[in-house]
Order: sequence, then C-alpha cells, then structure tokens
Amino acid sequence: MNLRLAVAGCIVLAAVAGPAGAQTAADRQSGRVEVDGGAGLLSGATLGDSDANLRANSQTGRTARLFATSSDLSRAPLWSARVSYSLTRRFVLEGALTKSSPDVRTAVTSDAEGAASVTIAERMDQFFLDGSLLVMLDEARIGTRLVPFVAVGGGYLRQLHEGQTFVEEGQVYSAGGGVKYWLMLRKAGTVRAAGLRGEARVYLLRGGFSFDDAARSRMAISGSVFVGF
Amino acid sequence: MRRLLAAIAVIVLFSSPAAAYLHFTSDSGGRSVALKWPRMPIRWFARDRGAAGVSASDFQAAMSRAFATWQAVPTAELSFQFGGFTGAEPFDDDGISVLGFQNEPGMDRVLGATGFLIDVVTGEIVESDIFFNSTFLWSTAPGGDPLRFDLESVAVHEIGHLLGLGHSALGETEVIPGGDRRVLSSGAVMFPISFGRGVTKDRELQPDDIAGVSDLYPAGDFRSETGILRGRVTRNGTGVPGAHVIAFNPATGQLVAGFTLTRDGEFEIAGLAPGPHVIRVEPLDDGDPESFLDARDPVDVGFRVTFHDRLAVAPRGGVGEQVVVRVQPKP
Repeated sequence: MNLRLAVAGCIVLAAVAGPAGAQTAADRQSGRVEVDGGAGLLSGATLGDSDANLRANSQTGRTARLFATSSDLSRAPLWSARVSYSLTRRFVLEGALTKSSPDVRTAVTSDAEGAASVTIAERMDQFFLDGSLLVMLDEARIGTRLVPFVAVGGGYLRQLHEGQTFVEEGQVYSAGGGVKYWLMLRKAGTVRAAGLRGEARVYLLRGGFSFDDAARSRMAISGSVFVGF
Repeated sequence: MRRLLAAIAVIVLFSSPAAAYLHFTSDSGGRSVALKWPRMPIRWFARDRGAAGVSASDFQAAMSRAFATWQAVPTAELSFQFGGFTGAEPFDDDGISVLGFQNEPGMDRVLGATGFLIDVVTGEIVESDIFFNSTFLWSTAPGGDPLRFDLESVAVHEIGHLLGLGHSALGETEVIPGGDRRVLSSGAVMFPISFGRGVTKDRELQPDDIAGVSDLYPAGDFRSETGILRGRVTRNGTGVPGAHVIAFNPATGQLVAGFTLTRDGEFEIAGLAPGPHVIRVEPLDDGDPESFLDARDPVDVGFRVTFHDRLAVAPRGGVGEQVVVRVQPKP
C-alpha cells in the first residue's frame, strides 16, 4: 500500500517536473528545507546461540544441556520520514525517523527429553531517530539532475517487544551513500524542488535487544520521494 | 528437606505452594499466605555437638558460609546473626532456631530437613530448625571429599527452606536399580535430590534460587527491574495441574521455573530478567511429585514436553501477555 503511494508520488512529481531547460541540480540553493518519505529493506542479523544449561553431576564444571537455542532478527521492510536543511550546496543536515518490524526468531533444538524442534518468534517494533550530515558530491554529478552523496549520522534506538510491554533503548550510528535525482527545481514558488532518492546505509546498533554488549551492524537500502520548499 | 535418593516430604502438614514462585504457604481462613520471616536479622544457633570428622566449630563455620551465600544475593533483603552454640536440639519448638546434627538412622534417605514454627494466621515464621543426619559422613573440606557429603552445599539448600522456599524441579534424574533416583543435572540448589558425595556445586546459588528468594524478600528495585510471566497449560482445553514450566532467557542464559498450581493449569513465574523467554513445559517426572507439591494436589504427568509457540516477553516491572501452552498427551 505504502509502496504504491510512493510510486504514485513519483509519477505526479514527474508530471510536474519542469522542462529540460529549467534549473539543474547544480543550481539548487542553500537554506532550503526538504521533506522526504520512503521505504526500503533492513537486513536481518544473527543474535547468537544460547544453551539452556543445567549443572552436570560431576566434580568438574561441566554442564548438561537441556536444550539449545539460536536466535536472529529477521529481514524486514522499513519506512522512513526525513526533514533536511541545506546548510550550503555541499552540506545538508537531516533528521530521520525510521521504523521497521523485524521478528525475533529463536530456533529451539536438541531437547534433552526429545521434544520436537521448533522455531518460535515475537514481533518487534524498531525505531531509529537519528540525525545525519550529508555531503553532496557535485563533482561526481551525473548529467544535470543526478547527484551522489555520502552520509554519516547517529541517534536513538528504540525497540518495543511484542505486546509493547517492554522497551529497550540504545544508540544507532550510520554511514552510507546514495544519489538524489531532481525531477524539478525552481527558484520561486512554494514547492521549489522535488525528486527521488536512493541510498544504502550500514547501521551500527549499540544497546537495545542483544545477547552481548557488542555493536551489531545492519544493512539498509531504501528509496524515497522528496519535496523541497 | 534434602533427600539423599528418594522423596519424603516433611513440611506438607502445613504447606501448599502459592500461586506464584514455589514458596511455602499456609492456609489462613481459605486464604493462602506465604511463609516468611517478618524481620531481619534472622538469629540462629548452632548445636554444640559435631559429628564424625566435623567439630562443632567446623559445623558453625560451614553454616555461616551457607548463610553468607544467601545474604550475598543483591536483590534480596536478608541478614542473619549467629546467636551462639546451644545444647538445644533442632525441632524443640523452643522459640530459637537451631541448626545441628542428629543421628536418624531410620531416615536412611534423608540428609537433612527443615522444620518451622509459624503463625498460621499471618504466615510469619517464628522459628525454623535444621537437622543434618549424622548417619551419613560429612565434610567441610574446601574442595569437598569424594567419600562424604558436603555440609555447606546441603546447608545452603536447607537454609533456602528456612527462608520459605520450596523445592525446584529444575533438574534431570534417572531411575537406578532399586527404584531410587540419581541426579543427572540440576539447575537449582533447591532441587530436592543431592548431587551426591564429594560434589560442592550447591554452594553456589543459581538464577532460579535467586529469583525465588528475591521474590519473597525483595530488595530495593527488584520488583520494578524484573518481570512476571503468567499463563495456563492446557490439554484439549482443560487445565493441566502440576506441570513444570521453565522460562529460559536466551539473552542471559538464565533458567527460572515454576509450576501450574491450580486445576485450571495456571502458573506464574516472577523475578525474570526483562526480555523474551522460551517457555518449556514438562511433566513433573524427575522426582516424586510430593517432593515439590502438596501430596493432596493433583499432578498430571501424562503429556509430552512442549515449547510455547511464541517467545514470551517479560516486561520490566510488570506482567507480560498471558501465555497459553497447549500440550499433547503422551502417545
């Protein structure tokens, strides 16, 4: 449903795009605000293995496994909303809210009393609220409308477990890059720019739901539609 | 009560499990009240007689270490005070809590036992005595003695009873020739059957023990920092009483367990680290059911080990969503 809306948005923006003789990406101005909405995919991640151990009846420190588990976070669609402000033509500050709902999946195997192996799960709602600095690479511009960028950012991680009775918090850091394609750019009017954006980022998560204190990386790819004012 | 090999219940006269963690309770006008000490420190006395290979001062030192183990639980408000040596016997109902050896050759499967004097209206413990059966050989050696039972390990277990804890079923056993049981593994000091001679592992409390005692004597923010899971175990829509319900937190590796304690198959496990848990339900078949529950309580063991089909999330400071585990009958 949301993807359909995004596609519809692109068609409308393409329809309102100015003639080829209008301004190019190189003509964009600083001090402008853009809003952006999009969708994408967040990669899964391994959480780790964990055995349910009892103490074995021996003098040594040996354990006896009651059952074994292996857990991961599933790959999940993501939805994002951004607001950005161009400090200069090269540097853009951006705030974003990204939501995804991966499953926490745990495979239970090797039960000591022969119970059937199962994979059980819960749905988690995950939010990244972060800020980024985008560096527009005009020198690598492709044609008149397509400008690559790189981005780094950091912010707040919030995870709500199923039933929304338990919240875990942490930090999220990201680095990546992408391209922006201006369908429309003009000096006057309420809507002064519109276009498409595609990007790939690596997110580094600290805290939140994990089996240890180590940071975990997740890969995200996304596409979006932006409108500038 | 700590049994050597088989089940003998010593406290069933006035106890039945609460609808919570397995704590001893007393029925007061149809209301179940948990047995617990009303105030700290708990003052205890050591009997002034030792046993073969264990002097009275060795005994007192081992008991002090065992009390210190419980007192060190950071999430429980516990303190103990050694009152001195006494010539009084355990189980004298004299208002003082006495720990000591007694020779009970007729109790050839009982390493030790704990008794109480309680206020049956409030559930307050007035006195609790522990005896260790000097029919057996005991050791207080730091590393244990392969020919003797470790006094400190058994004392840690019995002091758990003294505090109001019942038995945990977190363990696996096998039946050996003669019909007795041998422990293969255990996940709680409060498991009712001893590891055996020479093993000192029960000197160290396990997460199940810590959750149980902390639920009974919570310190500071224990309740606001841990979660509770409640639910039912059913078979064909009917409650399964006496099922053993284990909650495993894959993130912490901790096992904490409880029982279905009503005919409707209801259970509650408190003191859980917040987060998702694997729920495993098994029949109570690693010991005589009366080792764990009141002999009058129905116990259904005719079902297969079953995992709940969802991860159950224990919230911080609250109760998770209701868990319903549907088990299948044994083939």
